[in-house]
Amino acid sequence: MSRVWTNRRFFWQPVALLAVALAVAGCKPEPERNDGPATDRIYRHAMDGAPSSLDPAHASNIYANFLAVNLYDTLYRYKYLARPYRLEPNLAEGLPQVSADGLIYTIRIKPGVYFVDDPAFPEGQGRAVRAADFIYSIKRHFDPATRSQGAWLWQGRIVGLDEWKDNGADYDEEVPGLRALDDRTIQIQLIAPFPQLTHTLAQGYSAVVPREAVVAYGQEFAVRPVGSGPFRLQSFHSSGAVLIRNQGFRREPFSLEAEGFDPALQEELGLEALADRAPPFADRIEVEFIAEDAARWNAFIAGELDFIKVPVSQFDQVLATRDPPTLLPELAQRYRLGASLESGFVHTDFNMDDRRIGYHPDPDQQARNRALRCAIIKAFDWPKRNEVFYYGIGKVFPGIIPPLTAEFDAHGDSSPVRRDLDGARDLLSRNGWHGGNLPVLEYGFPSSVTERQMFEQFRSFMADIGYPAEKIRPLTYATYGDYARAYLNREVMLTTTGWTMDYPDAENTMQLFFGPNASPGTNSANYDNEEFNRLYRASASMQPSPMRTAMYRNMNRMVIDDCVTISGISRTMILLWKRDRAMLPDRSFVGGFFFRFADPGPSGSEAE
Amino acid sequence: MEPEGRIWRRLREDRAGLAGLAVVSLFLMLALAVWLGLIGQDWSIAAGGRWEPPSPQHWFGTNILGQDIFQRAVYSVRTAFEVGLVVAVLSTLLGALLGALAGWYSHGWPDGAILWLMGVLDSIPFYLFVAAVAYALQGQPWAMHVAMIATFWTGTSRLVRAEVMKLKTREFVMAARTIGLPDLLILGRHVLPNTVHILLVQASIAFVAAIKTEVILSFLGLGVQDGVSWGLMLAESTQEVLAGHFNNFLAASLMLFVLLMSFNLLADALQDAFDPTFDPKQAAQ
Amino acid sequence: MQYPLRKAFHGLLLVLGVTFISFVLMVWFGPDQTYTLLGKNATAEQIAEVRHELGYDQPFLRRYLDYVADLFTLRLGASNASGEQVSRILARTAPVSLALMLPGFVLGNLMGIALGLAAARRRGQWTDRLISGLSVTGMSISFLVIIIALQVLLSTPYGLNLFPVRGWQVTDLPSYLWHVTVPTLSLVLVTLGYNTRFYRAVFVEEASRDHIRTARAFGASPAVLMWKHVLKNSLVPIITRVMFSIPLVVISGSLLIESYFGIPGVGKVAFDAITSGDQPVLKAVVGLTAVAFVLIQIATDLLYRLVDPRVA
Repeated sequence: MSRVWTNRRFFWQPVALLAVALAVAGCKPEPERNDGPATDRIYRHAMDGAPSSLDPAHASNIYANFLAVNLYDTLYRYKYLARPYRLEPNLAEGLPQVSADGLIYTIRIKPGVYFVDDPAFPEGQGRAVRAADFIYSIKRHFDPATRSQGAWLWQGRIVGLDEWKDNGADYDEEVPGLRALDDRTIQIQLIAPFPQLTHTLAQGYSAVVPREAVVAYGQEFAVRPVGSGPFRLQSFHSSGAVLIRNQGFRREPFSLEAEGFDPALQEELGLEALADRAPPFADRIEVEFIAEDAARWNAFIAGELDFIKVPVSQFDQVLATRDPPTLLPELAQRYRLGASLESGFVHTDFNMDDRRIGYHPDPDQQARNRALRCAIIKAFDWPKRNEVFYYGIGKVFPGIIPPLTAEFDAHGDSSPVRRDLDGARDLLSRNGWHGGNLPVLEYGFPSSVTERQMFEQFRSFMADIGYPAEKIRPLTYATYGDYARAYLNREVMLTTTGWTMDYPDAENTMQLFFGPNASPGTNSANYDNEEFNRLYRASASMQPSPMRTAMYRNMNRMVIDDCVTISGISRTMILLWKRDRAMLPDRSFVGGFFFRFADPGPSGSEAE
Repeated sequence: MEPEGRIWRRLREDRAGLAGLAVVSLFLMLALAVWLGLIGQDWSIAAGGRWEPPSPQHWFGTNILGQDIFQRAVYSVRTAFEVGLVVAVLSTLLGALLGALAGWYSHGWPDGAILWLMGVLDSIPFYLFVAAVAYALQGQPWAMHVAMIATFWTGTSRLVRAEVMKLKTREFVMAARTIGLPDLLILGRHVLPNTVHILLVQASIAFVAAIKTEVILSFLGLGVQDGVSWGLMLAESTQEVLAGHFNNFLAASLMLFVLLMSFNLLADALQDAFDPTFDPKQAAQ
Repeated sequence: MQYPLRKAFHGLLLVLGVTFISFVLMVWFGPDQTYTLLGKNATAEQIAEVRHELGYDQPFLRRYLDYVADLFTLRLGASNASGEQVSRILARTAPVSLALMLPGFVLGNLMGIALGLAAARRRGQWTDRLISGLSVTGMSISFLVIIIALQVLLSTPYGLNLFPVRGWQVTDLPSYLWHVTVPTLSLVLVTLGYNTRFYRAVFVEEASRDHIRTARAFGASPAVLMWKHVLKNSLVPIITRVMFSIPLVVISGSLLIESYFGIPGVGKVAFDAITSGDQPVLKAVVGLTAVAFVLIQIATDLLYRLVDPRVA
């Protein structure tokens, strides 16, 4: 009898324990959502990816940049409403004073800007932001211990900075080219003119961080931000973040005119009602990181989100017309639509370092390789690629100057991106290429459904000129990191990448084909053309001008003629947001800067 | 009645098992036909428009690239059999070998070592281990197979070890040892053949597990790299179903289900047939 | 006293083995995290720097020993990718994984036991055939198919649209139930087939034993018979199964569910760490899993001995 009793207890006890554990685990409230008063004005945003880190030194992806510019201050930002994008002072008082030779930049920062209260400061009180903080923030990028990802912006540009790093990165040591003349004045001295410097000061990388917090938190600083931006962090984890208004943020009344308001294009947005109010307009911003398209779309349609970048697979259910994009009537009642080109482009580079397809010591073979590349480019069916993967609303253009830039030639010759099967076959036969001696093409991509489909589509394009299917092989990598390692080590024959521009200046795409930038730099094609390099160097110190534009177009022509890359397409993004939210969202250069201007309406966000 | 005859009789009487066998054979022939180039060769050709509904040209419609879903599903039969057979045969053989060694030299160091190895492999979460092996062998088309074989052998090995330990005490084995036959000969000639019933059942279980694992791995991007498989089709379909296109999903999951179900029924029939305590009359009541 | 010591020794060997194999695989062969942490336009010098910071340039043995030492002193470090302390990551994500998987795991086993019992009781009759048939069907459906199908049927406008497609905004019991339903259903559907069949086999085996037949001959009613004797005498295999399926179901299964439903739990963290090569996180997860497995084995042994004194 006693054995029966023992057994029953030991059967039910574990079950009971499990039940209790379940109840406890289930009922434990997650200390994340701290729903403030019901009158909290909340803006709910969704991003299609997660930030790499909240530390400005590691703000390497667009999502991190979005958050970094809200938690911290950068010297400059972009005007909220002006298109094309124009710089606007943020922490700085005005645009920089530049010396005549373009080497010395003097910038004054605004008074009355404070870091948020945080235990890292003495007595937990945030102190005023000083010029020295900016100096520290840039120096940090050159300290190996930071493992910064943004140092390349100022590498070899600022007097004494690289030497400072070589000398052991001692923060108490002054850098001659990066000085705080007083508490509010910064002076930067360049080695050579760098017209895009001010643009780099609008990037998340250049955000101003307090030394006390970096020292106090070490590596954890990446998840415990202490900044002076319009918001502060309440919570952050792998699927979302919550930002709350920084009560101490400087008051700067919203001026439509100063932000570049264009009544003709932007009058229905309801922005006029916001004039003269001080941003940030929202009390809380809840950002969700939802990479899965369907999940993001469902959350938006269910009313859980105020904003979405519509996934391509849903364009069918959203758009009534494609060109120009307009919403279906039932959606137009509840939402507004913004269609904008991405700030970048997608292209497939040939690895010129690979003798099978690129440069070759034998001039004849090199010419044959070039013919092969040109034939492959001619066989590429851009309209079909555009149609299947970008809903046909992407913008295909020849070469490497994307449509969003000022240097883009809207009336240029589009024949490089027009499919020419006869021309391709002709090139192949005239240069002695046929199914038997064609090289095996290794098409590299990180393993994902869409990338694999693009590869199969490429293979079917090539079949039309007689390229045997067995000679086009996939070279897959489990993650993007592995893929990057491979192509940065020149191991990939055909590399497909998307380049997101760091600033709205075509110099940013020209440098993609500058010889010295070859792998492990950004020149994944490993292109090395003397004439191109010469023009690049000559134009590097020029401000945007008709002469510079002419040089860029010339360089563009070289890239096209040498058939270095199958390029390119700029994707058109469809942004949707709820009608009663007065805002103009942007994913390009204004990017995260628009959060402070997002207005959730009078009584906060309600689920519809 | 001698044991083999009884086994055959049981198999013949198990109708579900026979049905399973029939369907599996059908699939096997499909796979052979694909391998020989007779059918399913157009799986990568973008013949139609995007997401076409089923039609006489495309029995299950097309996917986003215009590829014929039915052709892809049929080609996937070959992929499934390749993966399933390779993994099933090799993992069972490996398990049999190591299990026999462990059981024969039980309480000696080979047994300890092999038991330790089995414990270690069982302690690592399965998908983490498979993902890690797939990474380590990145780019190799056999990465996935190696990863699966490296984990599947433990199940077979345990059963073979237990069986060998039992067989060791039987008269014919003791007799062989007394005569002075070398250990390995006894193992190979006399002991292992008596474990065939375990191996057959385990192989069929491994086949099913391999196919199911391939589906998940391909979904995670670690499985089949070139070619098409049901896993890749399902991975494609995860985006499509949420936009209302179900053909890819239905085609892949239907064929997958039919093959797996048939194999499971066959495996059950085998297991029942070999089970000495199983009484078909009682089961049929 | 000798027995627990021997067990502990074996456990230690096991943990060392696991750490070694996982170290070789994931750390030595695994993805090189350098390239995800580099900025654009990196120079060879910068690459070397990052590699040094990540510790890639140390010799194999040195790295392995460092790893083991770190593990045993629980000096888990911080994630290379996000900078968060690994211990904090685990503290944040482990409860989520537990809360996610436990209902499905418990339900799957309880229902499996109940169905297995029902089938064994009416062995050979149509109830048994139905349940066995459904089990085999359940075993033949891929986990992925179930997850996709359930998501479409329950969480999208093409179906009932009652539950969230993904996410884990859990603040109280109702939101917990709302978020955990679809994952729990998926888990139950996947494991039920296997569980039912296993438990049925166990109960059938037990029911055919001599002492049960004797009790029957003495006229005890069938229901009482099943419940009291068969169940409690089957405890050993039941416990074995439950305990040993914990690593497989709870840890591996959580990886898939968490990835698919976007739930911030340990499985997803571990998988992200494997794919990006974030070593501190990986080391911690694999090492601690091994230790947990060893502890489970020891606990199982102890449970055996308490439940059934015959087991030595």
